[in-house]
Amino acid sequence: MADPRKFKIPIGPQHPALKEPESFSVALKGEKIKGLDIRLGYNHRGIEKACEGKTFIQDVYLLERICGICSHSHSTCFVQAVEEIAGLAVPRRALYIRTLVAELERVHSHYLWLGVAGHEIGFDTLLMYTWRDREAIMDVLALLTGNRVNYGINCLGGVRRDIDATQIKEVIKAIDELEERTKYYIEVATQEVTIIERLSGVGILSHEDALRLGAVGPTGRASGVNRDVRRDDAYAAYAELKFDVITDDHCDVYGRTLVRVKELLQSFSIIRQVLKNLPDGPIAVRAPRKIPAGEAFNRYEAPRGEDVHYVKANGTEFPERVKVRAPTLANIRSVKQMLKDRYLADMPIVIAAIDPCFSCTDRLISVKHDNKEKEVMEWQALRSYSIDWYSKRGVDFTELNKKLEEKFKHK
Amino acid sequence: MDTENILQQKLISKFNDLDDKIRIPRARRIFAEVTQEKFFEVFDFLVKELGFSHLCTITGLDEGEFLSFIYHLSAENGVVVNLKISVPKRKPIIKTVTPYFPGAESYEREVMDLLGAVVDSLPPGPRYPLPDSWPRGEFPLRKDWKPKTGA
Amino acid sequence: MSAIFSILIFPGILFISVAALFAEFLDRRIYARLQNRFGPPWFQPFADFVKLLGKEEVVPKDANAVMFKAMPIFAFASSVCAFLYMPLYRQNSLFPFNGDVIVVLYLLTVPTLAFFIGGWYSTSLYSRIGSVRSLMQLFSYEVPLFIGILSAAVLADTWSLSQLTVFYGEHNWFWLFNLIGFAVCLIALLAKLEKVPFDIPEAETEIVAGSFTEYSGRHFAMLRLTLDVELVVGSSFLAAVFLPFGYSFGPIIGFAIFLLKVLFIIFLLSVARTVVARLRIDQMVNFCWRFLVPLAFIQLLLNLIIKGVIVR
Repeated sequence: MADPRKFKIPIGPQHPALKEPESFSVALKGEKIKGLDIRLGYNHRGIEKACEGKTFIQDVYLLERICGICSHSHSTCFVQAVEEIAGLAVPRRALYIRTLVAELERVHSHYLWLGVAGHEIGFDTLLMYTWRDREAIMDVLALLTGNRVNYGINCLGGVRRDIDATQIKEVIKAIDELEERTKYYIEVATQEVTIIERLSGVGILSHEDALRLGAVGPTGRASGVNRDVRRDDAYAAYAELKFDVITDDHCDVYGRTLVRVKELLQSFSIIRQVLKNLPDGPIAVRAPRKIPAGEAFNRYEAPRGEDVHYVKANGTEFPERVKVRAPTLANIRSVKQMLKDRYLADMPIVIAAIDPCFSCTDRLISVKHDNKEKEVMEWQALRSYSIDWYSKRGVDFTELNKKLEEKFKHK
Repeated sequence: MDTENILQQKLISKFNDLDDKIRIPRARRIFAEVTQEKFFEVFDFLVKELGFSHLCTITGLDEGEFLSFIYHLSAENGVVVNLKISVPKRKPIIKTVTPYFPGAESYEREVMDLLGAVVDSLPPGPRYPLPDSWPRGEFPLRKDWKPKTGA
Repeated sequence: MSAIFSILIFPGILFISVAALFAEFLDRRIYARLQNRFGPPWFQPFADFVKLLGKEEVVPKDANAVMFKAMPIFAFASSVCAFLYMPLYRQNSLFPFNGDVIVVLYLLTVPTLAFFIGGWYSTSLYSRIGSVRSLMQLFSYEVPLFIGILSAAVLADTWSLSQLTVFYGEHNWFWLFNLIGFAVCLIALLAKLEKVPFDIPEAETEIVAGSFTEYSGRHFAMLRLTLDVELVVGSSFLAAVFLPFGYSFGPIIGFAIFLLKVLFIIFLLSVARTVVARLRIDQMVNFCWRFLVPLAFIQLLLNLIIKGVIVR
């Protein structure tokens, strides 16, 4: 170290502030950030290449696994592009169901973000509260689609599952409850002093910079960039629904928080409209195995911003090319701008404020098969296997299990 | 389809040779192919005159003899122009668009790593998304590239 | 013999360690319940401690091994030592002398310095930033803490903890004059214990674990125990200085009342860290010098006036 007042510290590839491996190398002078190098690509899995070797139907499920949080975004975006090439007329009911799942996903993603943001500024209470409430949404998603994440609701030409009246009731119940909670969080976010101290004036991205660097989603909208694919390039059922695009001119992390919590309220309103106006009819049309040659470019407003898929078909059942650009890749360049001359302490929240999802960003290399017979296990089987494994090693869970069961019986 | 047709007319009146190179497959989508020489004139015109203020991404395609690059530009009203250029695979040189969109750096590094494009006058920086130990001359998204078994 | 007993068993190392681990449990449990979680079972801190003792210990290659290993012991010893001067069940502590208030304050400063030196000598960047931060924090909260405690002592006109409790025992409701100082010292104690909103030196999302990043195994167990002991000692100290009543009912009830007071302070600390977010170091320094120090001085001034007017 030549100058003892100057540090270069690594944040990542492994670091408690980052939920996924990416590397930020920070040059520090005292507590001030003097330079920042971003190195991405630690999550590169070769999905784009893998897509070319799989059929369109397989790709729907593969692309859904780009990301655990915005899985529906990627699969919908891809499915819409393929339907455009194949010229499929998707039934309206299917479009509404897609919209419903999309908005539920947005709610759970924004709730997740709120918790993570709380954790990054050392406010774990907010994390615990929001994630508890988020369970309600996860349960609703599981009820509608069968899965808490990676819903698998989309198929080429429509959706895989219909919803019925009792499910609608459940969704509305959950939404009512969450709307109350959201209003409470808005109150907390706008009144709690330490939160405002830590968020406002931090990570400033001016309107011009946001445009120049191509910021998308809540990151852009908090800097006054009035862009929302749901309105500008309406897909699914959005053209028939009423909602406001939330913008804010704080240009800082505080603004990004406000945009997200206010978007939650919009999402609730959209969900109500969808459930009220849900048209009758079939939920899917039959899609051909071989997709005619052609190309399509589709945009989708994921919770984190604009998600982009380009699909090229060559007349076979395998795509010629699938290109994915997740919102985080568009936003990550802004981070450098936001952190200029800021404090080290602001770094986690500023990075978190774009709601980064590096799995999305990096995508792509198929899993190595080590010639082992694939073992498929039911949940129960897996559970008893693990209990066996431990009891062989002298750890006995039976007593503990009994106690737990008793405890939950009382509830 | 009005806005799209007006845009098409504007483009054609400015660049005559684009006449039969523009397709409008559906509302808010325009596909156009330009030559490498004309690319920057058209790009400049779209960005500065027609208000295409956002570069969605750059898609790289391997089309046998050629590498193609599609620049997806979007405007405030939701119209997307997909501007495509093709360069010979032996000499896949394109010029950087970072003077217009500094955020495009990620997309350009991606086509450099995955398709082996050479981006002219892009300042040096860390590669993306492949690891630093990745062998030279291996571009995974090219059609003739196969993953090594067991690797 | 009795000296050895009091150093090793009660109220020395054994008692304070058990009390400290129990205090950690309470803190974690209250924190969890306030966050709508179940929280750990009562033996969790003990289990953690025992587990850490059995873990492999890694000393960084570049670290100064002697300093690196000595500092946790220093920190632990001094914080345990401070407990010996607490009046637990009677108005006298075990080894009272005039000036023990000052000694306790300094004994409580030693662990922070030890964290700084230990973190600095472990050479990791995260540790060094954490160390510098904890020192910076020390300079900010130490002043209001000292002034707050001393103004209570000024009113009693003594530097001895025992005589301080005797004084407040004689003047029954005088401790109510010190409430501002109590609040100031509670906040300063929060900073001393490096808890939210002042957990800046070990902010995990920024610098992993600050000074403790490189520590593992026994020495890390020692450091954690030190923090817990500091929690108990700090709370007892505040209880002794600011809530100095209830010693007149004999040793057993007196001790019970003392424990209740300590639990109350621990409860206040846990609630405080539930409802706020972490500050930035510059905000922390600002806050301490802008608000805590003036408040502490107001307390001092108030006590001087009261002393002149009422006590005489």
